[in-house]
Amino acid sequence: MADYVAGGVPERLVPRTTEARNAGDAMTLAGRRRGPSVAFWGMATVVASEATLFGTFIGSYYYLRFSALHWPPPGTPEPRVVVPLVMAGVLATTSLPMQLAAIAARRARLWSARALLVWALAVQCGYLAYEIHDYVDQLHRSAPQDNAYSSIYYTLLGADHVHVAIGILLVVWLLWKLLRGLTMYRLNAVQVIAFYWHAVNLLTLIVIGVLLSVTL
Amino acid sequence: MSAAAYEERLERMWRSRPGVLGWVMTTDHKRIGLLYFWTTLVLFAAGGAEALIMRTQLIQPNQHVVGPSTYDELFTMHGLTMIFFFIIPMTTGAFGNYLLPLMLGARDMAFPRMNALSYWVFLASGIFVYTSLFLGMAPNAGWFDYVPLANAKFDPGHAIDFYCLGIIFNGISSSLTAGNFIVTILKMRAPGMSFNRMPLFCFAFLAASWGLLFALPSLSADTIFLFLDRNVGTHFFDVAKGGSTLLWQHLFWIFGHPEVYILIVPAFGIATEIIPAFTQRRVVAFPLVAVAELLVVFIGFGVWAHHMFATGMPTVTVVFFAAATAVVVIPSTIQVFAWCMTFITGNAQFKTPLLFIAGFIFMFVAGGLTGIMFLAVPFDQQVTDTYFVIAHFHYIIFGAAVFPIFGGLYFWFPKVTGRLYFELPGQISFWIIFVGTNLLFFPMHIVGLDGMLRRNYTYPSGLGWGPDNLVETIGSYITTIGIVVLLANLVVSYFRGPRAGPDPWHGATLEWTISSPPPEYNFAVIPKVSSAYANWDDADREEDRRKLAEGVMVLDQGHEQPVSSPVDGWWAEIVEMPHDSPWPIVLALAMAVVFVLLLLHLWLGMCFALAGIVLALLGWHGAEPQES
Repeated sequence: MADYVAGGVPERLVPRTTEARNAGDAMTLAGRRRGPSVAFWGMATVVASEATLFGTFIGSYYYLRFSALHWPPPGTPEPRVVVPLVMAGVLATTSLPMQLAAIAARRARLWSARALLVWALAVQCGYLAYEIHDYVDQLHRSAPQDNAYSSIYYTLLGADHVHVAIGILLVVWLLWKLLRGLTMYRLNAVQVIAFYWHAVNLLTLIVIGVLLSVTL
Repeated sequence: MSAAAYEERLERMWRSRPGVLGWVMTTDHKRIGLLYFWTTLVLFAAGGAEALIMRTQLIQPNQHVVGPSTYDELFTMHGLTMIFFFIIPMTTGAFGNYLLPLMLGARDMAFPRMNALSYWVFLASGIFVYTSLFLGMAPNAGWFDYVPLANAKFDPGHAIDFYCLGIIFNGISSSLTAGNFIVTILKMRAPGMSFNRMPLFCFAFLAASWGLLFALPSLSADTIFLFLDRNVGTHFFDVAKGGSTLLWQHLFWIFGHPEVYILIVPAFGIATEIIPAFTQRRVVAFPLVAVAELLVVFIGFGVWAHHMFATGMPTVTVVFFAAATAVVVIPSTIQVFAWCMTFITGNAQFKTPLLFIAGFIFMFVAGGLTGIMFLAVPFDQQVTDTYFVIAHFHYIIFGAAVFPIFGGLYFWFPKVTGRLYFELPGQISFWIIFVGTNLLFFPMHIVGLDGMLRRNYTYPSGLGWGPDNLVETIGSYITTIGIVVLLANLVVSYFRGPRAGPDPWHGATLEWTISSPPPEYNFAVIPKVSSAYANWDDADREEDRRKLAEGVMVLDQGHEQPVSSPVDGWWAEIVEMPHDSPWPIVLALAMAVVFVLLLLHLWLGMCFALAGIVLALLGWHGAEPQES
C-alpha cells in the first residue's frame, strides 16, 4: 500500500506545491509538477470570456459598418494611422519582458524577474498615459454621441484601455508581492499575469487593426 | 492511526466556523450549493407568483386583475426570474456546486472563494433586480427587451436600466461559476479519473459551462450598448444615426439560443445520473451521449437567427439557420434514444425521480417536435409571437429543465439531508405536476394556432379562446398544488423521514460512497476510479477502505486537494485549498455599490466604489494559501 499509485504517480512523489516558501523550493516543486497550474487554467477561462466579449464588439463594429452607407459618416474624422499602430506595436513588445519575467521566476532568479517586470510596467504605463491623452484629445473632435460609428469606436477603444489598465494594476500588485520573496503562489501569479498580458497585447493589436481598417 | 482517527483529524481541519458567520464566510461547495438552493427557491416562488397572476388575468376574456402596464412588468419579470434567477442558478449553482466535486472525487471547487463570490454576486443581482419591482420600475419590455421599444425614448425611467445592469451583474456571477466549473472538471478530478471515466453528469456541466462562458459576453455587450444608448447618448441601436435595431436581436440571440441548451443540458446530466440508478444499468452508448451533450451546446451557437425569421433577413441567411437548427436535432435525439434504450434494456423501477425523468423525456420530445416545426420558415413566420411559441418553449423549459430539477431534488434529497422522502406522496406529486403542466401548456398550441398573441394583457370575447385559456389557468393552479405537495413532502421528510444511509439507491457515482450528509472534507481517502460508475466498482471501494486504515491517500497535512492533468487524469500536484474567507461577500457588496451608483448616474462616486473593489481584491489576496 505504501507505494500505491494514483493517476500514474505514487503519493510520496507528488509535489505539495503550495508548501514552497522560498525561490529555491518553488523552482524545485514547479519542476516536479505536471502541466500548468490551476491558476493558469483559471486565467485561460477569463481570457476566453474576455476574448469573446471583444469578438462581440468587433462583430458589432462590422455589422454596423456593412449596414451603413458611409463609414465613417461624413463630418466624422478618420482615425490617425501611424501613431496608434506604433503605440500598439510598442505595447506588444512588453510580452517579451513579461515572458522573460515568468521564466526568470521559474528559475528562481528573483531580481531578474523584478527588473523585467519594472521594464514592462514602465512601457505599459507610458502606453496607457499616451492613449488616455489621445482618447481625450479625440473626444474634442468627435464624440460617442455623434453617430453609431463614433459610439462603437470609442466603446471598443475604451474597453481595450480598461484591459490595459487592469493589467497594469496586476503588475504593480505582483511587484509588491515579489518584494517579499518568491513562493509558489507568486510564481503562479507571474506566469498567469504574463499570460494575461500576452492576451491583452494581442487584443490591442486586433482592436487597433479593426479601428484602422476604416482607412483602407 | 485508525480510520476513525484520520476522519476526525480531517473533520477538525475542514470544519467551517459555527453559526451564521460560518455561512457568510464559507467556501465549502456544499454550503454554497445550499445557499444557492434556498435563494433560487425564493426567486422561483416569485417567478411562479408572477405567472399565476398572469394566468388568473387570462382566465376569461376581458379580465382586469391587473392593468396593461403591470402585466408588462409581470411577464418581463417572470421570464427574467425563471431563466436568470431560477433555472441557471438552480442547475449550475445548486446542483452543480453541491454535486460536481462529490462526483469528481474532489474536496472542493478549483476556486472555492470565487465560488462564494459567485453566490454573493448572484444574491446581490437578484436583490438588485427585484428592488425595481418594489420601486415600481420593473423591466417591462419583455425578457428579450427588443429595441426600439426598450430605448430611452419609448421606455423612459429606470426600468430598462435595471434590466441592463441586473443582467450584467448576474452575468458576472454566471461567468465566474462557468469558469470555476470548467477548471474544476478539468483539473480537480481524482487522480486516475481520465475523461472516459468521468460521469456523464460532469460532461453535461462541462458543456453547459462552456456554453455560459462563450454566450454571456454577447449578452453583456448587448446590454452595455443599450445602457450606453439610454444613459450616455450613444447610437448603437438608433437607425437615424447609423445604428441598427437588428444588432440588438442578433447579439441577444447569439446569447439567447445557446442559453436554451445551457438551461436543459444540466438537466440532461441529472437524467443521466437518475436513469442508471433506477435501472441498475450503465447508460447505453456512453461515449455517444457524452459527445452529444457537448455537441448540443456547440451546435447551439450556430442557430440563433431562427428566432428572427420574421425580421426580413435574406433568404440565404434564413435557410442556413433553418438547416443548422435541423442539425441540432441529431445530438438531442441520440440522447433520447440512449435514455430510452437504457430503460428498456435495464430493470427500470419507476420511483419518483425516475418518474420525473420519464415525464421529462415525454415533455422534451413533445417540445422538440414543435421546435422542429419552426424550421419551416413560412410556418414560423405565421406563428411568431403567438402562444404556439409559448407552448413550445414552456414544454422545453418547464418540461425538460424543471422536471429533471424536481427529479433531482428527490434523488439527492437523501444524500443532502440523510433522510428518505416519502415515496407515495412523491409519486402523487409527480402525477399532479405532470397533469397540471400538460393542461397548462398544451392548449397554448391551439390558441396559438388560432392566432392568440403573446404578451397581450387580455383578449376580447367571441374569438373562441376562452375555454382553452380557462383550461390553461386551471392547469397552472394544479401545477402549483403539485409543487406545494412536492415541497411539503420534502419538508416533512426532512424532520420525519426514515434514515437513508449512505447509498439508498445503489447509485452509480462517487457521491454515494460517502456518508449522508457528506462530511465537510467529502472524501477521507481520495477515491480510486476505474470507471464512470465508480460506486459499482466494489473492489475499488474495498481498496479505499483499506487505504484509510493505513493512512494512504488521506492527504491530511492541511486543506489538501490533489490536482490532475486535464485529459488523462495524471496526478499533477497537491495543493492547499483556501479556508473560510470574508472577502467574497465584501467584494460582492463593493460590486453592488458600483451597480447602484451606475444606475443613479453618480459617476464620481462610482470611481470611488471601483477603488473599493480594488481594496477588497487586495484583502482577498493578502494571505496566501500556505500562510493561512
